[in-house]
Amino acid sequence: MEQQIADLAAQVEALKLSAGVTNTNFAETYYYLTIPLMIIIHAGFLAYEMGSSRAKNVLSSGVKNILAFAFMIPTFYFFGWWVYWGFPTGLTLSEGPMGISGAAYASSIAWGWGPSTAAMGPNIADQASGVFFGAFAMFAATTASIMSGAVIERIQTVGFVILAIVLGSFAWVVAAAWGWHADGWLVTQWGVHDFGAAGLVHAVAGFFALGVLMHLGPRIGKFNLDGTANHIAGHNMPLTVTGLMLIIVGFWGFLMACVIVPGEAWSWFADKQSTIYGTPITLSALAFNILMAIAGGIIGSWIWTKDPFWMMSGALAGIISTASGLDIYFPAMAFIIAVSAGIILQPCANWLERRGIDDAVGAVTVHGTIGLYGVIMLGVWGWGFPALAIDNAPVITLYGQIVGAIVFGLLGFVPGYICAGILKSLGMLRVPAAAEEAGLDTVKVPSQGYPEGIVPSGPASS
Amino acid sequence: MFPYDTANWSVVDGNMFMLADTVWPGVFTAIAAAICVWVLVAGNRSEQEQYEKTKK
Repeated sequence: MEQQIADLAAQVEALKLSAGVTNTNFAETYYYLTIPLMIIIHAGFLAYEMGSSRAKNVLSSGVKNILAFAFMIPTFYFFGWWVYWGFPTGLTLSEGPMGISGAAYASSIAWGWGPSTAAMGPNIADQASGVFFGAFAMFAATTASIMSGAVIERIQTVGFVILAIVLGSFAWVVAAAWGWHADGWLVTQWGVHDFGAAGLVHAVAGFFALGVLMHLGPRIGKFNLDGTANHIAGHNMPLTVTGLMLIIVGFWGFLMACVIVPGEAWSWFADKQSTIYGTPITLSALAFNILMAIAGGIIGSWIWTKDPFWMMSGALAGIISTASGLDIYFPAMAFIIAVSAGIILQPCANWLERRGIDDAVGAVTVHGTIGLYGVIMLGVWGWGFPALAIDNAPVITLYGQIVGAIVFGLLGFVPGYICAGILKSLGMLRVPAAAEEAGLDTVKVPSQGYPEGIVPSGPASS
Repeated sequence: MFPYDTANWSVVDGNMFMLADTVWPGVFTAIAAAICVWVLVAGNRSEQEQYEKTKK
């Protein structure tokens, strides 16, 4: 009898060990797979930007976008990841109530030198750090790509890369530390909730782009002497629209990566998924609400524009407008909010254009304006929801979300405006007028986008 | 808007969406459906107007 009990206990232990191995490998694979899904976002931005460029600039737009992606990863490794863990309590870099923040904590897990290298390189006992870093590096690269589209056809390459690094490896990371971390002061003191990063990724990047555009100025020929705007069409609308659809595909990975899986030492719960705030979430909630938001955004944009560019931008706006509360919206509410975002999209872009801002792809509006709209909408509808999974948690409020929206907007705009001003004073922001008129591909890209032009072909003879 | 008496996630074991267990989710579903119908009606009107222009 005793032997049977001992055998049974051994089997239970073996099963527990096996279940733990399975859970750990599932958790690692889950985040690992979000990385290539998020790279699809960049494939989308690449196609979107190149299609929105005139043929004479198509490759230089691509070079700029690819280079931003490449620089984002090492710079996020060098210091961006440290910023995320170091800054949650504010500029004091002190430890927060959860004990997973502050300069000392960040230095113990997020430097590429010294003892923290155990968490910053291959380690058989650590199946989490690398995939978390990878997912966050992709968030960072997304911010850079958002800004990238707004400034096409007249920005210098190195100047742009510097701006991308400031945005992707610092500005948005501070916003994430403050509003997307269990110790973040916007969360603990104001109850800010931004599950899908409408404010801390999209609005930060959109308003960063606005700050840059104010120094960069419009493309030659965009505005007439009386201030009226001319439409500068990209050379390939189908490529642009396909790129937008790829961004939508990639966003499933982006939002999937915003979920904390259960059962690991770093998980909030042993038995259920949570948001980064520890509040409950299911992938089913995301499936309901993302799909309804995409549909709503497309329909809302189609009402007024009938234009596939704005319809696919509307799909993106639908997701962004609901991203803050994708965990707690009812699907029909997500649809209605997304419809409203789709409707206001083009008027907001036109409003900006009338003020002399040449945002070549509407990034400031789609990501900046709609991002803030989404953060505030959650304050309207989600008032009273606990913002953290702790006792006496702060709750979501309209005024808390407005504070969050203001902070996110400023965290984007101020660094963008200042850095672009510095680069302008150094002559590193805008290309010379002659280069702009000749076309940037001719000036600085040693290959041709369409060496044979676009030659129509006849049907094959039967 | 939190659908439980106590503002704490530990009491939640089912619906976690806004206005759960009230009539409002149904109302929003009806509004969403009405929007779809209205957009199709308005869109069709606009589309027919475009076709009419080509006949002139």
